Amino acid sequence: MEVLFIEAEYTRKVELCPEALEYLKQKNYRKIGLYASVQFVSKLENVKKQLQEHNIEIITSRPDRTSAVSQLLGCDNYRHSLNLAGQELAAVDAYLYIGDGKFHPLALVFVQKNSNVKKEVIVNDPIANRLFIVNETDVAVILNRYKSSLMKFLTARKIGIIITVKPGQEQFKPALELEKKFPDKKLFYFIDNNISFNQLENFPFIETWVNTACPRIGLDDQEKFVKGVINLNDALRAEEILRCWT
Amino acid sequence: MTLYFINLEQAVQKIRQTKAKTVCIQLPDGMKPYAEEIERDLSKIGVRVLIWLGSNFGACDIPLGLQRLGVDLLICWGHNKFIKKEGW
Repeated sequence: MEVLFIEAEYTRKVELCPEALEYLKQKNYRKIGLYASVQFVSKLENVKKQLQEHNIEIITSRPDRTSAVSQLLGCDNYRHSLNLAGQELAAVDAYLYIGDGKFHPLALVFVQKNSNVKKEVIVNDPIANRLFIVNETDVAVILNRYKSSLMKFLTARKIGIIITVKPGQEQFKPALELEKKFPDKKLFYFIDNNISFNQLENFPFIETWVNTACPRIGLDDQEKFVKGVINLNDALRAEEILRCWT
Repeated sequence: MTLYFINLEQAVQKIRQTKAKTVCIQLPDGMKPYAEEIERDLSKIGVRVLIWLGSNFGACDIPLGLQRLGVDLLICWGHNKFIKKEGW
């Protein structure tokens, strides 16, 4: 079976709203990490021009799972997924996301979850022609729960590993790494397509969960896991992450 | 003009090129209301159009089992090619 992707680009003009330009100026940001969702990423010329006119340098990259430079997916939500070199990450004064909604720009907040320095994530929504900011306060409840899930994972013995059959998200082999890393834990592998959250409680012997499907499930859906959940990448280095969590 | 470019021309071109007879269309939630128009226009060129009811979280979320229904072509709107990363 063949598959065709149609990007469905935004049909109207894409540019920074006056409010966003004023904000960048007022904050005196000199280096901006620029990202956009697929609908807007091919239409960033005006935005780039506006930033250049204001002497703001653009730092960007092609994140791990994307096909285009500056494109951001919700799942590119951890430190190394942006493919920005350490120096570039450090040099960015703030991130600027072009698009609507909070789901994608929150990936840039999650990227910084284990970092001591938090950079602002500015959203310029071309549809509503407005600016808004997303930051850790938007996900404070999630991150608090995530931290306790990490602690729970370290002490739990019976762990449920969730694996999806979706070809794009299936990570069975990488999940097996957990066996080497945690030989004292008993790991149970659960297979599903979309995660059936209402089935979790039917397996009461599971003490906590590890998600290996979309990495946003372990974060955004934290409250649906009564016994807690962490993502595979964090499970593999849980102790280290807890140590440096600020 | 719609807010997002549906690009039916590209869809029709792909259908002709692949000689598909049964096509499944998959749309993210925000574009699902366009299914009526897409179904109407693609049906006109003589293909059977099946509409995926479920999720479309991204290009990582391609429906499984479509071949059992004889689907020759899946057209997925709102995403581009997904580069799968083994381990993360």
